[in-house]
Amino acid sequence: MRARRSAIALSAIAAGSLIGIVGCSPASGGGSGDEQTLTVSYIRTDAFTALDTLMQTTKEQFEADNDGVTVELQPASANDEDYKTRLALSHRSADTAPDIFYQDTTTVRADAEAGYLLALDDYLAEWEDWDQFSDAAKQAGVGNDGQTYAVSLGTDTRGLWYSIPVLEAAGIETPWQPETWDDVLAMAEAVQSSDPDAVPFMLYAGTGTGEGSNMQGFYQLLYGTELGGDALYDSESGKWVVGSQGFIDSLEFVQTVYDEGYALPVDRALDPNVWQSVFGELFPGDALGATIEGSYTPSFWVPGGSFEWDSYADNMGVAAFPTQNGDGPGVSMSGGWTLAVGAQTDAPDLAFEFLTMALSFDNSLSYVNENSQIAVRADVAADPSYTEANPFVGAVTEFVEFTYFRPATSDYNQISAAVQRATEAVITGQASPAEAAAEYDREVESIVGADQVIAP
Amino acid sequence: MTRSTTAGSPPPSRRRTGSTTVVRALVRGGPLLPAAILLAVFLIVPILWAFVGSFTNATLTGVTATSPEWVGGANYERLFADPDFSLSLWLTVVFTVASAVIGQNVLGFAIAFAMTRAHRRMAAIGGGVIVLAWVLPEIVAAFVAYAFFSRDGTLNQLLGVVGLAGDNWLFIAPMATIILANVWRGTAFSMLIYRAALAEVPPELIEAAEIDGANAWQRLMRVTLPVLRGTIATTLMLITLQTLSVFTLIYVMTAGGPGNASSTLPVFAYQEAFRFGSVAYGTAIATVMLIIGAVFSLGYIAVLRRAEADR
Amino acid sequence: MSAATPVTAARLSAASPARGASRMWASVSLAVVAIAFLVPLAWLLLAAFDPSATYQTRIPSSLTLDNFAAVLTPQTTFIPIMNSVALAGLTATLTVLASLLAAYPLSRYRSRFHRGFLYAVLFGTCLPITAIMVPVYSVFVFLGLLDSFFGTVLFLTASSLPMAIFMTKNFMDAVPVSLEEAAWIDGASAMKALRTVVVPLMRPGIAVVFVFVFLQAWGNFFVPFVLLFSPEKQPAATSIYTFFGQFGSIAYGQLAAFSILYSLPVIVLYVLASRLIGGSFALAGSVKG
Repeated sequence: MRARRSAIALSAIAAGSLIGIVGCSPASGGGSGDEQTLTVSYIRTDAFTALDTLMQTTKEQFEADNDGVTVELQPASANDEDYKTRLALSHRSADTAPDIFYQDTTTVRADAEAGYLLALDDYLAEWEDWDQFSDAAKQAGVGNDGQTYAVSLGTDTRGLWYSIPVLEAAGIETPWQPETWDDVLAMAEAVQSSDPDAVPFMLYAGTGTGEGSNMQGFYQLLYGTELGGDALYDSESGKWVVGSQGFIDSLEFVQTVYDEGYALPVDRALDPNVWQSVFGELFPGDALGATIEGSYTPSFWVPGGSFEWDSYADNMGVAAFPTQNGDGPGVSMSGGWTLAVGAQTDAPDLAFEFLTMALSFDNSLSYVNENSQIAVRADVAADPSYTEANPFVGAVTEFVEFTYFRPATSDYNQISAAVQRATEAVITGQASPAEAAAEYDREVESIVGADQVIAP
Repeated sequence: MTRSTTAGSPPPSRRRTGSTTVVRALVRGGPLLPAAILLAVFLIVPILWAFVGSFTNATLTGVTATSPEWVGGANYERLFADPDFSLSLWLTVVFTVASAVIGQNVLGFAIAFAMTRAHRRMAAIGGGVIVLAWVLPEIVAAFVAYAFFSRDGTLNQLLGVVGLAGDNWLFIAPMATIILANVWRGTAFSMLIYRAALAEVPPELIEAAEIDGANAWQRLMRVTLPVLRGTIATTLMLITLQTLSVFTLIYVMTAGGPGNASSTLPVFAYQEAFRFGSVAYGTAIATVMLIIGAVFSLGYIAVLRRAEADR
Repeated sequence: MSAATPVTAARLSAASPARGASRMWASVSLAVVAIAFLVPLAWLLLAAFDPSATYQTRIPSSLTLDNFAAVLTPQTTFIPIMNSVALAGLTATLTVLASLLAAYPLSRYRSRFHRGFLYAVLFGTCLPITAIMVPVYSVFVFLGLLDSFFGTVLFLTASSLPMAIFMTKNFMDAVPVSLEEAAWIDGASAMKALRTVVVPLMRPGIAVVFVFVFLQAWGNFFVPFVLLFSPEKQPAATSIYTFFGQFGSIAYGQLAAFSILYSLPVIVLYVLASRLIGGSFALAGSVKG
């Protein structure tokens, strides 16, 4: 009997010590006592060190300027999705919410609605550098209530990248600037007949390439149709557009590109890694006429990039992607990340000061240069070290004038997936453009509700 | 078997003087405490919490992140009306049966069995190689499998060597590729269990069967398998439960595509919960997975019960 | 590794021709399976030594150790691997101890409650951990355990327990109660019988459970990532993401090199464990004879 009692005792001690350990463990996070601590959360990987450099520099400057304040950097080694998940979770408790953090433009509105972000309007009004930021960049940090919640670190634009040797072999003069969709198709046809082995015009589509298939594909078309910037989401009413002719026209363009064999075969186009073939094999091998890609394209080819290519500057050209009928200068889509301040911070003034220090002229300049970003500050964009970083910086920076940001509502990712499914249905032949558009309309209505859609 | 007479009966207590059943239950259950506390705090509470959450409209971000509302069975209604869900359910069952119940289980047993008879060195090398795929971190294994099946991958290059034309397997046969990848990655687990279990089969039983003139196949079917019935049922249950929740492997290889041709429930749930932020809807999907796991498991438990009753 | 073979061989006259043939067939089929399992790893090995690796399998035009040199830094490899050893080692040790304790009553006494409790928990393991991460996070906030290394160990332990208890109970069932009876007659407590009689006899099973739990903890990315904030506490699984660039670029060569380094400790563990298993096969045999 005594022996068995000792078994109970043993277990009880084990259990008790467990609880003891649980109880005694120190909580992390916010500063206590007279020492102030600012925590900063962001992404750092071996392949993405620019932001870490920026944060390290800013921490040094900030701690030198502010006695008694410690900046605690919490870089995360993760992909975007996992980082965003952890960030959203960390906002659930004041103890774990970081004071300053790296924030995707696509989640600004939703996170502001959730009450995770601090409204910055009063602070920005007193920050002299704020005037330097472009309007598009300012817009990217605005929440549904019209207040500004985040400040852009840099952005990207998208354009039509083409191979000079392939186009010239097909008798097309470079520099090339198509005015309408038909010009693009004419180029593809010319390339196809001059070199049947080449891929004339790669257009990303379908779910395989994810968000990229919209940003570097369908949206470039849709935003160039009649409704322009309101083709996907009507900014005035705050409702999603259904039943538009532009949507069907865009899908028809996609269908033409795939049916005529201008793009890669469907099975390759749906491979999540197809873009690696585009950068790594097709363009350097003079086997691709043109494709829509981001302003960061040269970063893959420069020395130290994933697909080093010495002569890319002489072989490649970039043009604005045209609108459907040639109205306006062109179409570009933008994404990018921002810095934001947590709504639960103990020291909003200090946090904002840190943010402005990180986004100062000097720090911004080295960050955008190191990370192949499009500058959002006018003074940075004018600096020679920025404009001379590679031969294409000037051209892709000009796209900022007509670029669009996605409607970053909390439903956005679901809508985006519905768009990807629509293009996939068309390129695989499962549905005609009209059928796919009708299915998209149904999906949007079921995602956001019938009262949140609008027909043009 | 000698243990059958005493297993399950209380150990002899020579000085049991008026001890009540309650005390006895406590004494016996005592060693369960550390595990029970850990499970309760870190697993059962969150699971119940998540289950309750599946009746709300909680999201990861947006207004409903901080102030979710009770929506009753709306998530489940939406789920059962969703054609993507029924497809996903079917793919999950196919994936689990083909890669775990058939693939890992049968292959794992065959390898373990072969190891007991093969040359010692060969058994060591073979076992080591199979374990290699298992010890790779899941994300690495997923990349390796992707590299193997992709259009310019190892498989097609090997096919090219023997003069066969390859294809983009991840596109034309996504389910087959993820099933084979999961067999490749997971077989070691059942192999290790069967390897340990086969060593426990009393040699005298096999010896006796051999003296009775049973050939190798008969010895396997009549002696080894019946003795291991409990182990087999347990192993099946464990690998089924593990396979039901396989996510990274599928996500890296096909991301559930093309379209949703390989979108099993974990992929479906992840998309909803994290990409679309609908935590509550994702949890409703997970609850359905729990039920599938339970259905599979109840089948194995029935086998286990019978195996124990036979002892 | 397979000490079982000589044991059986000694018992059953090994010289019979039929046995020789079956031994050869077993060896040949094992070799075939082993090769099939090895082929997919070709990419990993080739890419690790390829200065310009992609996801496509190919013979490198030149061999290089640069990929290894690039990842062999304290920040990418050494510190995270040490963290992983501690995280997985502690988790596996705690899990094995708690499982042994829990499995003893489950294996030795019949109780409806025991069984129902265990199955209920076991079903929960088919839930993808991501599905319960939001409530788990809230529990950690409540207990003040976030960013606590030991807290993370406790959670990993809890999430491996259902499987581990189940496996341990199964292995324990195979240990005859008759042996403990001798100990009970000698006046030993149940715990002492567990320690001195049962545990030594189920070393192979314990090794399997330990390796299994260790691997689960070793490969787990999401749990430590969400529960630990400090970069210096991150395990090696999170280093995998360090090779993924901002615009989707992946340093495949370094990824492959790191994967090999990351896998080495668990391979070593397996080799050690299988030595242990091999050693105790003989023991089990002698007891049963």
